Amino acid sequence: MLGLIQNEWMKIFRRPGTYVMIGLLLIMTTVAGAFIKYQESGGTVPDNTEWKRGLQTQNESYQKQLEEMGEMAPREMKEQYQREMAINEYRIKNDISPNQEYSVWGFVSDTSQLIEFAGLFTIIIAGGIVSSEFTWGTIKLLLIRPIKRVKILGAKYITVVLFGLLVLAVLFGYSALLGGLLFGFPEKAFPYLYYYNGTVTEQSMGLHLIAYYGLKSINMLMLATMAFMISAVFRNSSLAIGLSLFLMFMGGQVTRLIAMKYDWAKYSLFANTDLLQYFEGMPMVHGMTIGFSILMILIYFLLFQVLAFYVFNKRDVSA
Amino acid sequence: MDTLVEIQEVTKVIKGRTIIDSVSFEVKKGEVFGFLGPNGAGKTTTIRMLVGLISITSGDIKILGSSIKTDFEKAVSHIGAIVENPEMYKFLSGYQNLVHYARMSKGVTKEKINETVELVGLADRIHDKVRTYSLGMRQRLGLAQCLLHDPKILILDEPTNGLDPAGIREIRDHLRMLAREREMAVIVSSHLLSEMEMMCDRIGIIQNGKLIDVQHISDFVQGKEKIYEVEVDDPEKANRILIRAQPGLPVQLTENCVILPLVREDIPEMIKAFVREDMKIFSIREVTKTLEDRFLEVTEYKGGTGDARTDSK
Repeated sequence: MLGLIQNEWMKIFRRPGTYVMIGLLLIMTTVAGAFIKYQESGGTVPDNTEWKRGLQTQNESYQKQLEEMGEMAPREMKEQYQREMAINEYRIKNDISPNQEYSVWGFVSDTSQLIEFAGLFTIIIAGGIVSSEFTWGTIKLLLIRPIKRVKILGAKYITVVLFGLLVLAVLFGYSALLGGLLFGFPEKAFPYLYYYNGTVTEQSMGLHLIAYYGLKSINMLMLATMAFMISAVFRNSSLAIGLSLFLMFMGGQVTRLIAMKYDWAKYSLFANTDLLQYFEGMPMVHGMTIGFSILMILIYFLLFQVLAFYVFNKRDVSA
Repeated sequence: MDTLVEIQEVTKVIKGRTIIDSVSFEVKKGEVFGFLGPNGAGKTTTIRMLVGLISITSGDIKILGSSIKTDFEKAVSHIGAIVENPEMYKFLSGYQNLVHYARMSKGVTKEKINETVELVGLADRIHDKVRTYSLGMRQRLGLAQCLLHDPKILILDEPTNGLDPAGIREIRDHLRMLAREREMAVIVSSHLLSEMEMMCDRIGIIQNGKLIDVQHISDFVQGKEKIYEVEVDDPEKANRILIRAQPGLPVQLTENCVILPLVREDIPEMIKAFVREDMKIFSIREVTKTLEDRFLEVTEYKGGTGDARTDSK
């Protein structure tokens, strides 16, 4: 099995395209860093003495708005205000200023937007890893080895996941490095304030970012799995990559639209892949829980895998 | 055990159409078996079933006693194959391609890879990218790829497709050598008859999915009767003499020859008859029937007129 993964890894990294993708990711991170450093205030801390009063006024105005609107207030707005207010109160009570110096953590958090691109590249690899063998004609020589097809496909999937992890690690590592160089490491690490079910807790920033990356990459993993499935079932990498990318950019929006009217939107994959909604916002459809989402993700994951493995194993290779 | 490959009543049905209809044959150690048939007859399908690329609808294929259906890993470990063109990873070097395949079989060492490279004569260019290889070199790399794990059976589908005469000859010499010296069983498919004639010990003819004949190449090309061409001064007269002696003999006439099928023992009689009638005989020549003639004969007799089916590829 290790040999098979080694093989797939070699086939990915002996192609220049792979380096172009990783290079692009690094360039984008660098551009983001330069932009933040020179275009924005880049490190100056705003006037810091009056922040407690500021937060207090903010809370009061939130409170007033909520009272004025009463039952009319949309659920999202209500929950968001409550969250902000809880965090603000916590800051006042524990003397944690919101005006921190922009540091490496802020940068890593900002560049986590680029996970979408890491996802895109992983989808490109996943969409090509099976179908390319068919296009190249090498599938014939690949499948006449004394190795079961299930193992070959398994090695390919593991390679996709490893590639995804590598791209994420490159993004995280490079952002941390670049952020550290450009904005410095803070002497005193500010904790991240984390609001869940009405209570606020402190969390170390590094841990928070890793969790944040992990949760954000679920979406990418699922889409890569889908691209992999399409690639194995239809032997068509353009279809696999195209459809997966389309869904990556549009799936969330469309599901959100449907969710406004219909409840069954919660069974869509895209209503569930963003687990962050349970920590930082609110679920897309009222009544969804994190357990439900995890279950849905698992069901979709199994569905994709079963389809991919079943079809690949049964297929007559006659192209 | 002498029989390495047994194909037992293999049938393949795709979407209700029978592509291969209970084909059976055996291939022995040290033998080059040719698989001959027009395009679309089912050569490639049979070969793909042999290596497990296509499933078998009914029947079984045994490789050294292991079934390709139920014991795929063991059965296929004895096989080295090129199915149609040897498609390699073009962005890898020849050597990396071999390493790739070596990792997929048990116990292929670096020395073995180098040895195989030497054998097929690619040592100078093995570290270049496959993209830069000529077709002949790719074919040689393909051969190296299927020899890596010392298989007992070599299966080549149209191995000389697209090669120039020198390349064809090279492949042919390699195959003969492997069958003789390493006692491998070699199965080759082709629709090029002249080539099969030079390469194979036995050939099986397939048409419309049915194996219609398996014969030794020498028996196949020459039946008992041979064709003789006799150059005489007056073919018309010779014809009359021949018809009188043996009515119904299919004699063909050309400007100064008669062409007729004869058993060897009858030649002196014929000459005597000609001499008695005072005919001049300039030469008697045996006309070798080519595989092509025989092939067309056989496929017409036994298979009926083949419908123009498109190739299953």
